Amino acid sequence: MSTTKLTRRGFLSGTVILGSSALLAACSVDNSGGSARAKSSLQIQSYQSDANPKAAMTALAKGYKGSDVVVNSIPNAAFLSQVSSYLSNSNPPDVLTWFSGTVAAGFAKQGLLGDLSPLWTGSGACARYSPAMRQLSTAADGKQILVPMNYYGWGIFYLKSKFAEWGVEPPTTWSEFMALCKKLKGKGVIPLIEGTGSATPWVAAGWFDYLDLRINGAEFHLDLLHGKHSFDSPEVYDVLQHYASLVPYMDPAGASFSWQQAVTPLLQGKAAMSLIGSSFISGVTPASQIDDLDFFVVPTIDESVPFAEEAPTDGFIMSARGGRRKEVQKFLNYAAGPEAQLKYILDAKSAWLPAGPGVDTSKLSRLAKKQLKILTEAKQLTQFFNRDSSGALLDTADAALNHLISDPSDIRGIMKSWQQAAQQVWNS
Amino acid sequence: MEQLGLERRGRRLAAGPSWHAVSTSGRSAARKTSGISPIIWWFLAIPLALEAWWVFYPALESFYLSLTSWSGAGSPRYVGLRNYQLLLQDPIFWTALRNTGLWTLTFGGFSFVFGLLVARLLNRPRRGVTFFRIAFFLPMVLSLTVTGVFWQVIYQPGSPMYSLLALTGSARGAGSGILANPQLALWGVLVAALWREIGYIMVFYLAGFNGLDPALEEAAQVDGAGAWRRFWSIVMPQLREVHSIVFAILVIDSLRTFDIVWAMTQGGPFNSSQLLSTYMYQEAFTALKLGYSSAIAVIIFVLAIGFIITYLVRTYRTGVEDGARAH
Repeated sequence: MSTTKLTRRGFLSGTVILGSSALLAACSVDNSGGSARAKSSLQIQSYQSDANPKAAMTALAKGYKGSDVVVNSIPNAAFLSQVSSYLSNSNPPDVLTWFSGTVAAGFAKQGLLGDLSPLWTGSGACARYSPAMRQLSTAADGKQILVPMNYYGWGIFYLKSKFAEWGVEPPTTWSEFMALCKKLKGKGVIPLIEGTGSATPWVAAGWFDYLDLRINGAEFHLDLLHGKHSFDSPEVYDVLQHYASLVPYMDPAGASFSWQQAVTPLLQGKAAMSLIGSSFISGVTPASQIDDLDFFVVPTIDESVPFAEEAPTDGFIMSARGGRRKEVQKFLNYAAGPEAQLKYILDAKSAWLPAGPGVDTSKLSRLAKKQLKILTEAKQLTQFFNRDSSGALLDTADAALNHLISDPSDIRGIMKSWQQAAQQVWNS
Repeated sequence: MEQLGLERRGRRLAAGPSWHAVSTSGRSAARKTSGISPIIWWFLAIPLALEAWWVFYPALESFYLSLTSWSGAGSPRYVGLRNYQLLLQDPIFWTALRNTGLWTLTFGGFSFVFGLLVARLLNRPRRGVTFFRIAFFLPMVLSLTVTGVFWQVIYQPGSPMYSLLALTGSARGAGSGILANPQLALWGVLVAALWREIGYIMVFYLAGFNGLDPALEEAAQVDGAGAWRRFWSIVMPQLREVHSIVFAILVIDSLRTFDIVWAMTQGGPFNSSQLLSTYMYQEAFTALKLGYSSAIAVIIFVLAIGFIITYLVRTYRTGVEDGARAH
């Protein structure tokens, strides 16, 4: 019998041999090592993909006279999931847009971020930044790893003309706010809309953060997000009870909308208010209505709790593995300077606030000036849920809070399963 | 010797893998040195090498990664079987597993039933049948992601579909939209996926019907068999090969479903429409737990391989029996 033709046994054994050789290669999975490559231009990897911020980033790059700077804009969700592969690459982009918070600290601990301390001393552009900004940009080992460019706040946005039409005023206390919601509902207006649909479920965490800040204070909130408190605690129960009291006034259709889609009923006058970041809503409001847009801060619930606000801070980080440190630092020195920062913010046509001092704030938009006043008066600033913790914990919050919005009857059950899910995150 | 010769010819007669096709008989194969020219080997070897490097190697690496904890940056940290232990305690994993089973049964089952039904209805050359065949197949032209986004708009509150549903009175479900209702989200995605897949299965069965012997059905009709009896006892058994292909395709497609669920619900209102594939993606790229998601990938692999091995074994066994019977 001839054995020269391929039998099934032969084919299978051949595959096994090929497969096991591949398996041996699987033993080396390591992202260490990387060398700089010769490139003619600096590369910025940016997650600013909305039209105006993207144009602002491009203008910032063009305005740099030192060397050629190229901007790669990546959609936000893809950027967030790929950022660790950008940083671990042996050929990383030189500069990346990123934000302050736990994730940046995590990257720094793994040694993926370049040291930007030279910009924070002497005549560096960040040397005179506020202590709060310095603290947000510093890693655990005391070195600075972020150059903040802008920050923004959150607020409950409404249209002034509509409020005048309904004969209502912005509230200052929680009971006034609930009365306002009740009055609006009586008029047939949807009091509150939040785009918590599956495209942007994190919007629900905005209310959670603010209620926690107002009821339990910033210290408790940050400790909770760092795993020092349980989600199954009486303090969190208090927060979720207040949240549940809002649900009857929320538009049920909001659970199908992304935050971008949820702005439409607000601008059309069908819904009255929405708690959202100022940079988001001002970015999508048409020019004809931007003057009509205004906001008020989440009303006080407990007078004794120090006033805290959320102020997510965006900026630039440098990858540790790129080769051109001096050039990157020179570019960032230019970008963080007052003129470049102001131009960047104005080009983006949003309600961003400059992170640096000495920027001419008179040119900022009306909403930005109002926000600046509020944030400088705040006793403590936190970032947003995922920036203070991690994407994994935000996933658990999305599930728990969206469950609460769709069915606010079983708060204790939701808290228990939230703590279970959070425990999984802490354990891993 | 004779027995083996029979076996070889039997395998050749079956619709099995074609690597036996090159052998003619023992004697003439001995005369040629390798029966296959080197060009054929190169044509096979190069794609195999690419596939091995880009597909098999990462897949095998997943097995190793499932034993580690890795956030994507830096090196993976070996943790043994801990990921699997955590999976067993993870309620979302069990929901995803249950949903994957449900999805395979309903998506696979309904695709098969409706695909066959539509093919049967559009089999005879009537006026307008070409238009309907095209109309049913056209959704396949759209990618799954586009289908998902398109149906998401249809399901949103404010669309005509939503108004229709509100008329039928599902108050709580219609209020926030189908995809925002945890009980209905997966079924909403199912409708969108079926809308696309039915045309695909229809084409398989139209081709299958073309290969049928009309004399058999006519003979049965003359004998007085009713329409259903003719279909079930004459037509269906002749379509056995098409059935096995369609079964394999539907099982693999069901286990692979990701794009359409992700585009429509990203795993759904609080994980209610989570499938194993979407949960794996979420854990890998949102939560950045690559070791954990590799463990989920290994489980998907085990499920898929179970189905595929069953299918291959059935094909081989049936093939050999057919061949033996032909003698």
